[in-house]
Amino acid sequence: MADQDHRHKIDLEQVAEHVEEQVAYGLEVQGPVRPTRTLWRDTVRRLRKNKLAVAGLIWVSIVLVMAVTADLWVPPLLGDPIALDTTQVSARRLQPPSWEHPFGTDNLGRDVAARVVYGARVSLRVGVLAVSISVVIGLLMGAIAAFYGGLSDTIIMRLADVFFAFPYILFAIAMIALLGPSETNVFIAIGILGWPSIARVFRSSILSVKENEYVDAARALGASDPRILSRHILPNAVAPIIVYGTMSIGGAILSEAALSFLGMGVQPPQPSWGNMLAEARSMMVVAPWIMLWPGLAILTTVLAFVLMGDGLRDALDVKMKE
Amino acid sequence: MSTLLEVNGLQTYFDTIDGVLKAVDGVTFSLDRGATLGIVGESGSGKSVTALSIMRLIPMPPGRFAGGDIRYEDRSILEMSAAEVRSLRGNNIAMIFQDPMTSLNPVYRVGKQIGESLRLHKGMSRKSADVRAAELLDVVGIPNASQRAKDYPHQFSGGMRQRAMIAMAVACDPDILIADEPTTALDVTIQAQILDLMIELQQEKDTAIIMITHDLGIVADMVDNVMVMYAGRPVEEGTVDQVFYDPKHPYTWGLLDSLPRYDVDDKGRLIPIEGQPPSLIAVPSGCAFHPRCPYARDVCRAEEPKLSNLGDGHVAACHFAGSSGFVRGSTAGGAA
Amino acid sequence: MLKYVARRILQMIPVFFGVTVILFILRAPGVLPGDPIEMLTGDRVISEVTYNQLVQKHGLDQPLYVQYVTYMKNLFKGDLGLSYKKNRSVTEIFVEKYPYTLRLALAAILIEMIVGLSVGIISAVKRYSFWDVAVTLSTSILVSLPVFWLGMLMQVLFGIYFKRWGLPYLPISGMGNPPDLAHLIMPAITLASVSTAYVARIMRSQMIDVSQQDYIRTAEAKGLKGGAVVRKHALKNALIPVVTFIGIDLGAMLAGAILTETVFNWPGIGYEIYLAITARDWPIVTGGVVIVVIAYMIINLLVDVSYAFLDPRIRYGGEAA
Repeated sequence: MADQDHRHKIDLEQVAEHVEEQVAYGLEVQGPVRPTRTLWRDTVRRLRKNKLAVAGLIWVSIVLVMAVTADLWVPPLLGDPIALDTTQVSARRLQPPSWEHPFGTDNLGRDVAARVVYGARVSLRVGVLAVSISVVIGLLMGAIAAFYGGLSDTIIMRLADVFFAFPYILFAIAMIALLGPSETNVFIAIGILGWPSIARVFRSSILSVKENEYVDAARALGASDPRILSRHILPNAVAPIIVYGTMSIGGAILSEAALSFLGMGVQPPQPSWGNMLAEARSMMVVAPWIMLWPGLAILTTVLAFVLMGDGLRDALDVKMKE
Repeated sequence: MSTLLEVNGLQTYFDTIDGVLKAVDGVTFSLDRGATLGIVGESGSGKSVTALSIMRLIPMPPGRFAGGDIRYEDRSILEMSAAEVRSLRGNNIAMIFQDPMTSLNPVYRVGKQIGESLRLHKGMSRKSADVRAAELLDVVGIPNASQRAKDYPHQFSGGMRQRAMIAMAVACDPDILIADEPTTALDVTIQAQILDLMIELQQEKDTAIIMITHDLGIVADMVDNVMVMYAGRPVEEGTVDQVFYDPKHPYTWGLLDSLPRYDVDDKGRLIPIEGQPPSLIAVPSGCAFHPRCPYARDVCRAEEPKLSNLGDGHVAACHFAGSSGFVRGSTAGGAA
Repeated sequence: MLKYVARRILQMIPVFFGVTVILFILRAPGVLPGDPIEMLTGDRVISEVTYNQLVQKHGLDQPLYVQYVTYMKNLFKGDLGLSYKKNRSVTEIFVEKYPYTLRLALAAILIEMIVGLSVGIISAVKRYSFWDVAVTLSTSILVSLPVFWLGMLMQVLFGIYFKRWGLPYLPISGMGNPPDLAHLIMPAITLASVSTAYVARIMRSQMIDVSQQDYIRTAEAKGLKGGAVVRKHALKNALIPVVTFIGIDLGAMLAGAILTETVFNWPGIGYEIYLAITARDWPIVTGGVVIVVIAYMIINLLVDVSYAFLDPRIRYGGEAA
């Protein structure tokens, strides 16, 4: 809850770049210098900033490719991530990292590296599906609230408040207690819990676009509400959703890990980074290396999504501010 | 009258990714005690940077003083230690900024903000600073001043805030008051009141004023001398009469033509200056104004004009400023 | 000001009722899997008479809305009902557990404020320095790592390995008996980690934002020292959004911290509610969430009030800030 709550809030950092520029240019030079600046300085800055975003993209692609192709290379190279050979367990269990088992083996003699790769499948699946659910519900709710306003706006935004008033992880645990712990239920729960933020972002961007004159003009020309929404408002509100969605995937991966860690997510023997950490916890004293890898996998993957989100935010020039 | 402030060949540059930005490039003027100087130009002409340079409020880096000097009572401001400059700021030289809406700190009471410099420079106690701050608000024409001193800036109207800014600036009876577009953000009706207030205070205390503006109308009403700036450089300096009734630089002509006039029976048409002010990173060769100057000739593109003395302290930086046939409205342009 | 507070309290009421109604719907028979009485009795076979007695004892024979009204009535008397499993009053359980959560939350908030604010301010003042880059990098990492993993890493390093190496080490579990500082250090750091990173980031960007404001230049033009400008004029303005964040965070922490409490076997209410959820002990869950939501709302109100204190534009209801 407290420890995970902020991941679903908007990154509050306001990138006040125009201000940096003003300093760099002294105080009085707003107008005349602009043409040269946009051409060159922005390109330089974007390239530099994007390096991190590109690194994030590369890492996500690597993880994705490894996860998708896992069936082809993991079992022959590293061994089966789930099945155990009971006759050999005692000889193979809790081995430290070696050439044969680069990340070592767990208490049941399974290759940790193989399990980490298969865990990536869960994380990416849950991350993408959960955020898709949030985005679909959030867009719908946000659009209704912003476009029709009045009572529907009040009800939806109060409902969002109720969602925010609930401690996040508790809410997720309660939903899973209802639905039963499974991967599907995890992404459903995370997805449902994510809608209020998306709805808020979408609602405020619609409201800001709605004030624009071209929307009035379209309405004056007799365009219908759905048409105004899809043709005039959606394209303008889409950038913040893309940025927020990308960052949310990282948040969803963290939430899945937390739920699985608490035993409310993906169930053993199927590997997920979260439940691997729960298992590794009991072996912390004898085999501390086991807990290193799933944690590193979560960290690097979430960081990659966050960096991608940052890069997209800068490139699309989205102001993330609540 | 004695010379209070002397600016000599001042160059204030900013180092940017794109190159060196010459915000102020060779500004020279002097200011006598009790005198009023108007600095006129478009935005980006270096007026404000000149003012901030005098206060040494240029952020460094990226800013730096590349040359020239600023002397206050014959001491070089540029060579002063940080502590010496601070003891000057708000005390001997004070400044009023353009936007009174944002220049007051929203979280402190107006009276406290006025009293701050009194406590700092005059060593006043909290209490006597409060009392004096209320008096100052009264002086600048805030009704019910001792009550209003306890208000926060957002409770003041724009005009009142600028009055408060003036109260803050004159709190320590400075020798020099620099006003950077003090009325630009205000309603026209308020503008005149604010200017009258400044003149009134000046006459009472014999304060010298540097009035920075893009509005020649303001200058005409209240200043003794005028400096017209373009692209970081002074292009014409002289008394109000000289610059207004006998301007020698085509840029000054342009400024005057774009000004609504009531005293001259024109065809009632305002003539804007064509084009945009230049980038201060890539200042045009020769005379910086030549791309926009309808009279430009080859020499204007090749050679930078020096300020030439036209007599009685009237100077202009134009190759033809002294030529007899070169008058406003003549189509003597070589390019034509 | 009073009007403002009153308005904020009024706004909370529907949220509070919304939360309790949702909780009650979740408790309705058929919504939750499993029969509460079976949960209560476990595998023991009981007679129908006993069953009906238990149903009556917990008020489960009443229609749902009657149960809700009864529950809310009792709630205002401070009675949160009986636990299905522990045969104790829920109020009693939370009265016992809450101080532990409070202890951990306050320690974490303290770390968050001291470290987060100072790191953020230094980063802003020394912008683009090596320090600033290092801070930006490490805050990105901190917000991307699972807190429970951070807790485990610290346990392994400062608990297990330091002990092995013969260095002074920290206890890795529990609160100590009697509770001591050594047991508090690692859980508090773990709980504070993510928020500290956020506070540092927000503080940095706020300070940079504020230092560009015209009134900062005004203060400099008065002849104030750079340090005094930062302290007197920049800080108070920059703090306004940070205070909001820290307050909301405190509210979240007072709701307990399941992950941190689980990793360090800390007997707080987050862990208690989590156990109750897995055991389907609904009175504890409902009671816990109600307490948590109330705490959360009170903190939010306090945040808004302190916000108004820092920002006179809100206090005097002038223009919208």
